[in-house]
Amino acid sequence: MDPSEVEFLAEKEVVKIIPNFSLDKIYLIGGDLGPFNPGLPVDVPVWLALNLKQRQKCRIVPPEWMDVEKLEEIRELERKEDTFTPVPSPYYMELTKLLLNHASDNIPKADEIRTLVKDIWDTRIAKLRLSADSFISQQEAHAKLDNLTLMEINTTRSFLLDTLNCMFKLRSNLQPGSSGGKAQDH
Amino acid sequence: MPCERKTMRYGHSEGHTDVCFDDTGKYIVTCGSDGDVRIWESLDDDDPKSINVGEKAYSLALKNGKLVTAASNNTVQIHTFPEGDPDGILTRFTTNATHITYNSSGSRVAAGSSDFMVKVVEMSDSSQQKTLRGHNAPVLSVTFDPKDEFLASASCDGSVAVWKIEEQTQVISWPLLQKSNDVINAKSLCRLAWQPKAAKLLAVPVETTVQLYQRDSWAHVNTLSDDLGTQAINVVAWSPCGKFLAAGSIGGLLTVWDVESKLCVERQTHEKGYTVCGLAWHPSGGQIAYTDTEGCLGVLDGLSSSSSSSSTTAAKSTKAPASYDDLFDDDDDDRPMDEGVSEGARSPAKNPGDEDDDDDLMPATGRARNRSAFLDDENSLDTGSLKLGLDKFVDDDDVGSAIVPPAAAAAPLRPVYDGPMPTPPQKAFQPGSTPAHLMHRFMMWNSVGIVRGYNDDQDNAIDVEFHDTAVHHAMHLTNSLGHTVADLSQEAVLLACPGTDELASKLQCLHFSSWDTNKEWMVDLPKGEDVRALCLGQGWAAAATSALMLRLFSIGGVQRELFSLPGPVVCMAGHGEQLLVVYHRGTGFDGEQALGVQLLQFGHKRRQVIHGEPLPLSRRSHLSWLGFTAEGTPCFIDSEGVVRLLNRSLGNMWTPVCNTRDNCKGKSDHYWVVGVHENPQQLRCIPCKGSRYPPTLPRPAVAILPFKLPLCQTTTEKGQMEEQYWRSVLLHNHYGFLSSSGYEIDEEGQSQAQKEQQELLMKMFALSCKLEREFRCVELAELMTQNVVTLAIRYASRSRRMALAQRLSDLALEKANQLQGEEPQEEEEEEPLQYTRRNTGYGQSSSELGTDRQHSSHRRAQEEEVDEEEGQEEHMDEGEVAERQGLNPFAKGTAASPEKPSPKPVSKEGRVNPFKVSSGLGRPGSAGGQHRVTNVLDSMISSSRKPTALLSSSGSTGKLNKTPVLKPLAPRPKTKTQSTLLHMSAPKAANKKPAEEREPAVGRLKQTEAPPPASPAENVDHMKPKTGFQLWLEENRRILLADNPELEETDVIKEAMGRFRTLSADDRLSWTERAKGQSGDVADMKKRKRGEEESRGDENGQSEADETSGKKKKTLDTSAKLSAFAFNKN
Repeated sequence: MDPSEVEFLAEKEVVKIIPNFSLDKIYLIGGDLGPFNPGLPVDVPVWLALNLKQRQKCRIVPPEWMDVEKLEEIRELERKEDTFTPVPSPYYMELTKLLLNHASDNIPKADEIRTLVKDIWDTRIAKLRLSADSFISQQEAHAKLDNLTLMEINTTRSFLLDTLNCMFKLRSNLQPGSSGGKAQDH
Repeated sequence: MPCERKTMRYGHSEGHTDVCFDDTGKYIVTCGSDGDVRIWESLDDDDPKSINVGEKAYSLALKNGKLVTAASNNTVQIHTFPEGDPDGILTRFTTNATHITYNSSGSRVAAGSSDFMVKVVEMSDSSQQKTLRGHNAPVLSVTFDPKDEFLASASCDGSVAVWKIEEQTQVISWPLLQKSNDVINAKSLCRLAWQPKAAKLLAVPVETTVQLYQRDSWAHVNTLSDDLGTQAINVVAWSPCGKFLAAGSIGGLLTVWDVESKLCVERQTHEKGYTVCGLAWHPSGGQIAYTDTEGCLGVLDGLSSSSSSSSTTAAKSTKAPASYDDLFDDDDDDRPMDEGVSEGARSPAKNPGDEDDDDDLMPATGRARNRSAFLDDENSLDTGSLKLGLDKFVDDDDVGSAIVPPAAAAAPLRPVYDGPMPTPPQKAFQPGSTPAHLMHRFMMWNSVGIVRGYNDDQDNAIDVEFHDTAVHHAMHLTNSLGHTVADLSQEAVLLACPGTDELASKLQCLHFSSWDTNKEWMVDLPKGEDVRALCLGQGWAAAATSALMLRLFSIGGVQRELFSLPGPVVCMAGHGEQLLVVYHRGTGFDGEQALGVQLLQFGHKRRQVIHGEPLPLSRRSHLSWLGFTAEGTPCFIDSEGVVRLLNRSLGNMWTPVCNTRDNCKGKSDHYWVVGVHENPQQLRCIPCKGSRYPPTLPRPAVAILPFKLPLCQTTTEKGQMEEQYWRSVLLHNHYGFLSSSGYEIDEEGQSQAQKEQQELLMKMFALSCKLEREFRCVELAELMTQNVVTLAIRYASRSRRMALAQRLSDLALEKANQLQGEEPQEEEEEEPLQYTRRNTGYGQSSSELGTDRQHSSHRRAQEEEVDEEEGQEEHMDEGEVAERQGLNPFAKGTAASPEKPSPKPVSKEGRVNPFKVSSGLGRPGSAGGQHRVTNVLDSMISSSRKPTALLSSSGSTGKLNKTPVLKPLAPRPKTKTQSTLLHMSAPKAANKKPAEEREPAVGRLKQTEAPPPASPAENVDHMKPKTGFQLWLEENRRILLADNPELEETDVIKEAMGRFRTLSADDRLSWTERAKGQSGDVADMKKRKRGEEESRGDENGQSEADETSGKKKKTLDTSAKLSAFAFNKN
């Protein structure tokens, strides 16, 4: 899975915008949106929010968790715990990136938020690497990781699977090698 | 000495606090157990400056820009004031200092400590210290002799000592206090105070009294006491003039005595009854600041220290309001929406308090406390002190009074005005703006956009931003004129600035929607006239000025109207062609504002809708928002957060639709309203945490609150539905208004709203049914439309409530009749012009009818007119009358004259209607008149079974047939059902109507006449002469049948109807006339007529149709009959 695909999925998340135009309800396959009243917050998917934002048709109201204090709390908790803590949104990384890239003017303290989310992300990825490492080194058959987001899984999936494949090959090569040796012996 | 107690505010964390004023009295300085010293510009200062001086601060003193604090690190520190920079340590103790004080010149500081010592330190050189040893317990307080000779101190060992500073010796010591081992265990802080200036007296709080000792002689000269003071006095403080002494007690009672007369001139209770532990007079003497052990800061304001006890009533009563005005100006000048207003408005009322107002005036908590205090007191009374008890009793009734006669009841009551105090009038404001004193403020936030004003060092500018960028792009204007008020509409931005000495007040309009190149105009107001409020409507702008004038401009800048307002304007709002003005009607009392409201309508129908009626605010509140809903209904919000909407259906009353405070989480949270919408039901507002209005940054987000009528028991299902129903009714009133003022309305929305209301009614009906509340069911059914009533009938009959169903069917019938009665009336309203034209003839004839009824020619002419105009019902009524007419023109005249003019008012009342009248007339007559026989026969044919069916139905309910009044009861329902049936077919006729809607007016009138014969003909037949149509039908029936032999009777009629309509208007008229003539001719030949009628009855399809329906009924049992009836209706 491509990160862009995960991002695509994240674009389905709902975010509040304050439109500066007026439009009746629009009926889409995914559900009805609107009505849009200028100055009145309305829930729309991120893709639409970004589109409108790029056309300067709205202001985006940052999600509740996109707040320096809340993120600091989460970061502290994440650092304290050995396991993964629940994240504010299953697409926190993607949303942060999307919203901050396109609507940083609507989000107070955008830079701090970017840093904080990156911190959280780094902490979690480090944990993920650590657990992958112990998983392999202890030669476990299975492991359970809670509270991982799609993007996080995605970053490690290809590498982890390839590695496991590779190791499996090496191990199984070892086996046939010895059996081959035996065969030769026979 | 009236004063106002302002609401306390949180200053420090819980624990001991202290307070003082700076030299100028500009700042209040407090310290508390959180170790902070806070510098408050006023009680309303939301952002006091904080200086941290240690972990805990026990006491502070401030003079000459040096702030001295006793902190928990056993030191006495100096900080510069107001910067708050540390300026060294003055002295140290082995444990913490408990109280510090400056001498009068500020050259020395005395500090008492828990290590039993008192130190006197020179400010200039802290090495020069004098230590006063002699106390055997922690020192409670210290005070300097203003002449710098002595020093007094109180200690936990129970002694109050006076020291000679230079000699460091004790001059005298009194064992006055209760002993304790530490300051925290001491019963009282026993803050001593030496009289300033004269320095003659030393005040020592002892238990519940203050004892005064004379200087030099050290003799006890006086005791100041207060009957209400039941708890130990903690702190005392002299007024700067030395005439008054204030004391704060453990129980939170604040008392001020006039020392000379020993009179208690002021008494206030702490709002929560906490222990007062800090007390300070303002250097001017007009204010007392106090703090309590819970860390709260409070102020008693408006103390007029100059007014001595001997001052006259007049002087006082004039002085008091004046000082309030000053106050109001000082604190709240720029923020009309600030809490201060309401508080300010509230408090003065507390002081005077006559007995009636007593309960209202005292805040609930304070009151309760007082009560308990009295109770305690009375309990503790010993039998001997009866007189005292009596005094107390008097006081009890007079709790709110500021001036209570001292214990010596002999002292005459001073003539002081203690009635209700006037409320300072609320300042003019723009709805949707934040206070003008803010550097960054919203000058206007409405449904169109936002106007922000910046007035800081770099910039004095105005930003205009539109919610909908399609209206206009955002604007940035430099505010060189210093505009303070603004309004914004889809067409223009209106700004105004107050006048200065050189410049007149200006009104500036940025008319951005103008199609020419000049998008701006400006108007100077006459000298000395300031714009106070302004608003924009559609195509006009209005400005209310300080000269009590309202100036109306067109949006292009033409001066249009000018009129005087009855009082100083508070605010204005415009919407479309409506202008809403709120002004001061007079002086309010006891915290109330006396506001009046006017609603003016411009446009082609210029009129005043509301003529300066009082605006109903909540108690002790002021107006905080005024405007229109998006749909154009006037609406306002008061400082208590109650939203009221104009209820146009109830003679322009105001109905509360929402209380924003109900939605607030915290007590100090508010909602700042920016817009009200009726459809959808939305109250758009900005939640403000801990304030009344939002800051400009970060940009506040709009939230939506629902409406909720404050009906009773909205937790119950019934209450909920009632609330929903009435809310829906109220909030859809605007449809009526809009359509009446010629706006397009959302028909779909309206019908949807109606549907929703009817659904709710039905639900309520079902609920009441379930609860066995049948009477209530009928009441609800009365609110329903006719269609829904049939549903209700069905419901009732299904749930086996026959009596209810019966009543409902009566009701349905009534409604049906009403509906028909209204129809012609409505038409009349729709075409007033046409009617006036036609009425000229009509009116003439009717007037002639009034004067000389004898003229039968006139009568005839009039009769024809009536026939044409009043439609079938009228026609029917008249039919019977007409017969008699033929016989006796006079009789007709008398019969007709009351009847003719009546139809309109009658149907308006909705009580009597033509159908009913006719049936009413027909029934009693049927016993006598010959043609009633046919009538009866007809009904026999049509529904001969009905009476029996009803009988059986009444039999099944088991009530009616036992009573002897069975007979009169039975026929009555029958007639009703009959006419209901009659109405059932009416919609059919109505359906035909639109097709011919385009016919000329005469045809149209004809039509109203024509459809009914198709349906209610059977009724007509019973007692009417033939109509033109019937005559025509008789003649053409054969042709018709020949043309369409396959047609059934009803179809024949329909077909005939169609054809009759295609005839020219003149032809039809002639037919009608013929019918008239015939009836007139035939009148005296009743037999022939009857024969005719009978034959016609046979021929007439209606009677047969009726018959079929009659047959249908025969086969069904009662409940099925009722439901079938309901079905038929649909």
